[in-house]
Amino acid sequence: MTRAQRLFWNAAGIVLFLLAWEIVGRWLGSRIIAPPSGVAKEYLELLRAGTMLSELASSLRQMLVGFGFACAIGMPLGILMGRVKWIERIMTPWIGMMVVTSVAAMVPLFLLILGTGFAFRATIVFVASVWYIVITSYNGARGVDPGLVSVAKSFGATPLQTMVKVVLPAVYPYLIAGARIGLVHAIRAMVMAEMFVILGYGGLIHQTGMMADTEPLIGLLVTLMAVSVAATWLLRTVGNKVAPSYEQRVAGA
Amino acid sequence: MSTFPSRLVTPERLTQAASILGGLVIWELIASQYSAFILPPPSAVLKRLFDPAYDVKLVVALYGALQHMLVGFGLAVAVAVPLGIAMGRMPRLNAMLDPIVNALYAIPAVAFVPFLIIWFGLFFESRVALVFIMAFPDMLVVIVAGARDIKRNLFAVGRSFGASPLQVAWKIVLPAMLPFLMTAFRVGIARAINGMITAELFLAAVNLGAMMKTSARTFDSTSLLAIVVVVCLLGLAAQSLIAALEGRFLHWHHRR
Repeated sequence: MTRAQRLFWNAAGIVLFLLAWEIVGRWLGSRIIAPPSGVAKEYLELLRAGTMLSELASSLRQMLVGFGFACAIGMPLGILMGRVKWIERIMTPWIGMMVVTSVAAMVPLFLLILGTGFAFRATIVFVASVWYIVITSYNGARGVDPGLVSVAKSFGATPLQTMVKVVLPAVYPYLIAGARIGLVHAIRAMVMAEMFVILGYGGLIHQTGMMADTEPLIGLLVTLMAVSVAATWLLRTVGNKVAPSYEQRVAGA
Repeated sequence: MSTFPSRLVTPERLTQAASILGGLVIWELIASQYSAFILPPPSAVLKRLFDPAYDVKLVVALYGALQHMLVGFGLAVAVAVPLGIAMGRMPRLNAMLDPIVNALYAIPAVAFVPFLIIWFGLFFESRVALVFIMAFPDMLVVIVAGARDIKRNLFAVGRSFGASPLQVAWKIVLPAMLPFLMTAFRVGIARAINGMITAELFLAAVNLGAMMKTSARTFDSTSLLAIVVVVCLLGLAAQSLIAALEGRFLHWHHRR
């Protein structure tokens, strides 16, 4: 299939989906599911009112703090796991456990200990995203070509020099891929934590869900989708710019 | 000495066990400096988990929780497998559905909770639906990738030996898909367990969710942590169950 053909079928799928949604929406009424035409009109209203965007901005700011900590701790930890045998041995069972543990199950515990404020939300985001960042960085560091490392060694590089000049450049694309995967989980966790305590953007979704009309609710979800897609796209573009050849290889990670 | 015990007790497993044990000891020591409310020590959590009165409640709650988890997971498998294979084998269908699946997947599943309440109410049906929407897309992605991966010449061989469509499905598609199906199940069951507990906390609080809310009201962080541990163990058990199935059915397949 050529690129043009694929774009055609992409567009056909989207048009058919919107059409089907419009028909179902008109048939069931906007109490059950608002049709896209109604959502589009309501969306302009939401943009004009400003609450949606201001709540989103403040929620994202809090999320970025948790996500930033997750990157700052997860990336070095993952690299060390990939390069130092005993750290790998010690961390592996904990990572395995943490990844299967549902973050939702931890929400009541952290809520009890930390309250509903900033610390609570940032912690949930951190816990939800850090393990994915660790795993992706670990896979990258583990896969560094041993030939490159031995060349560095035979030219008398110190362990620090090997780390900075050989390992880090090779791991870089994985760090960006890890950040991308982690960010998706961070956004999910942000919404989840906020819906639980009915604050911020997640709280707005919860309250809007109580209204008799689903138009604004769908509008909020559309914005969330746009944020998630834009964030993924941004990190993917950065990844492609920095290291075009690698990014594709780890895209599925 | 037989070789069997030495295969069970590998140096790797020993260090793993030592790591977990060491971690718990450090945690216990740190926790002893704080009140059990701020940081419950592992010993208290263990004591709670071995308290018979608590266990009765826990088993009843788990029994209820597993019901919507399994129904939701089963439905997700029933839709994701055929749809994923169809999308993987039909490029046009894939091109049509791919942007929509991606767009919906970009929205966090919990954000659909208000809709689930409108459509399915607060109870069992709604919980099943949340498990479904959490497990389904993750599995679909893996299955589509698997179906695209089946080599064209395998079909040609089947055709030239006069295989019927049913035979092609059973003898070519299924074996070629099996490694991907197993991966999909492993990813999906983890998400389904996540959905199971999410549903009990975000819809009407029942089973484990109700236990957590009661514990939160009485500031009993030890019980809250105990349930986190139970959910984690359930996840690990499900993973190893599927890994065992994988070993049983995929002994011919080298994992890359």
